[in-house]
Amino acid sequence: MAELQKAEIVGTPALDGQYIGEMDIWPFEAPEFNRIYPFYDNLRAGKFTTTKCKKCGHITFPPQVICPKCWSDELEWVELPQRAKVVTLTETQAGAPLGFEPPLILAWLTFGDKGPLKHLLGRIIHCKEGELKEGDEVKFVTFSVPAHPFEVKKDTKISDRVFYAFELVK
Amino acid sequence: MAQTRNAVIVGGGTSKFGVRQAHLLDMIQEAMRACADDLPGLKPADIDGLIIATTMAGRHSSALNTAPLVVQRLGLSPTSICIRVDTLCAGSNSAIIVAKGLIESGIADVILVTGGEKVYMPQRWETNYTQLAVNDHDWDSAMGLGVPPPFFAMIAKMHMKRYGTTKEQMAHVSVTNYGHGEGHVNGHFAGRTLTMEQALEARIIADPFGLYDCCPLSDGASAVVIASEERAKAMSDRPLVYLRGTGQHATHSMSAGWPGDTLAEWPHLKTAGEVAFKNAKLTPKDIDIAETHDCFTISEIIELEELGFCKKGEGGAFVASGEIGLNGTIPTNTDGGLLVYGHPFGASGARQAIEICKQLQGRAIHQVKDAAFGLTHNLSGTCAQHTVVIYGKEPVK
Repeated sequence: MAELQKAEIVGTPALDGQYIGEMDIWPFEAPEFNRIYPFYDNLRAGKFTTTKCKKCGHITFPPQVICPKCWSDELEWVELPQRAKVVTLTETQAGAPLGFEPPLILAWLTFGDKGPLKHLLGRIIHCKEGELKEGDEVKFVTFSVPAHPFEVKKDTKISDRVFYAFELVK
Repeated sequence: MAQTRNAVIVGGGTSKFGVRQAHLLDMIQEAMRACADDLPGLKPADIDGLIIATTMAGRHSSALNTAPLVVQRLGLSPTSICIRVDTLCAGSNSAIIVAKGLIESGIADVILVTGGEKVYMPQRWETNYTQLAVNDHDWDSAMGLGVPPPFFAMIAKMHMKRYGTTKEQMAHVSVTNYGHGEGHVNGHFAGRTLTMEQALEARIIADPFGLYDCCPLSDGASAVVIASEERAKAMSDRPLVYLRGTGQHATHSMSAGWPGDTLAEWPHLKTAGEVAFKNAKLTPKDIDIAETHDCFTISEIIELEELGFCKKGEGGAFVASGEIGLNGTIPTNTDGGLLVYGHPFGASGARQAIEICKQLQGRAIHQVKDAAFGLTHNLSGTCAQHTVVIYGKEPVK
């Protein structure tokens, strides 16, 4: 078999290095692509927020466009507690998805029985393998994630992005 | 709508499950071939409806509208229904629920339910990466939740903490299922055996799970024929196996909506089971054999509890005492289950249905004596949804 040039056998030439939105691991945060974009704006301001129903008072997470209890679309933004306790945890030793380098530490968090948010799966960052223990307190933290291009008529804009995780309170 | 007639499962077959050198549509054809072998005389023209269950087809086989592709490859010409369904790991069990309703109501007479997945891609990273899209992508997946072991490892830790379940008890599930898998040549791990020592000394996948606590991801397909009682009698001389009752319950899509007090309680499964038992006019005591979703050893333990086969919290001791073996009170996963037969998501529910069909017809490889009532169960997503189907040698009266 004749030796092939590397350029002929690697990649998807038709895409020519294009950004592929359907393969993105982060949300489309720009207002052009979702109606809960204030959540991401609030993240940029260091706030952990969600939507509360003005009609029935129900607080839901993730934030929504309508209230899942009464289907009202009159919602307001409220802040969520930024500290939680680790109920149990798992440190991924193999099979972490591309984009999440090991140690990938995931914890089942509780915000207490009285809070609007009872359970949440949270990634714990800035933490060494073996450092996190059940019962530890963790706090909300934000960080930048890669931007992506999107088209607005004939222009290409860039959506800068942010996401959140938790870190150990020391 | 008043029920006018009964739906029965007539027979079925699976392709070889495993890491396959085959396209999704190749494997669906293999499953159809195996189904035809199980039902001599069955012809393409006998089938008036098709339901194909798949999750990965859109992404991994570039086959978003899958049903017409299957029609072409199987030589079908459906006139009553031709759809794809996707409930991830419960795909073909969901399809069987739909088929039951369509047949009982008279909309369809003979439906082929097939399910299949091509999981493995030219490069392995892509399989794990796609798993980000089967959870609630923008929330739990953005935390790095991809393949299921980390989530179920936390479930196991909670069950061990709250109920004293041990790694040895979990190993009883995998060792039992490996015994049951013996002779199932199409299984992912066909021909392999497992001892207690091997199970307990296996490399760790996600603490507390060793390799044998986790089912594989498999390529593969399965196919079953669901028909009206009248058409089934014309098609086969075997005893009729009726679809008696079904239940499907979903409560959430991501972690914040988890319905249990802790990860060790699955109230949504309890509800799905109660609905299915009520519809089937049966209780857990009536069931002779169960095919439950043993994606992990701990899953089978919790499922036996929530379905009412043992008391809550006693699942570990229950499986260790031999109750899930062929002579136990509830022989479970008698074809090896997901742990040994493998798990091509959309194909698993129909694979379970085939085993129940053969058990109730008295022709299973590991036959449970006088089996008259059987149950299948799938969970799907990160334990977000539960699907239960109950079969019997007699219809609901």
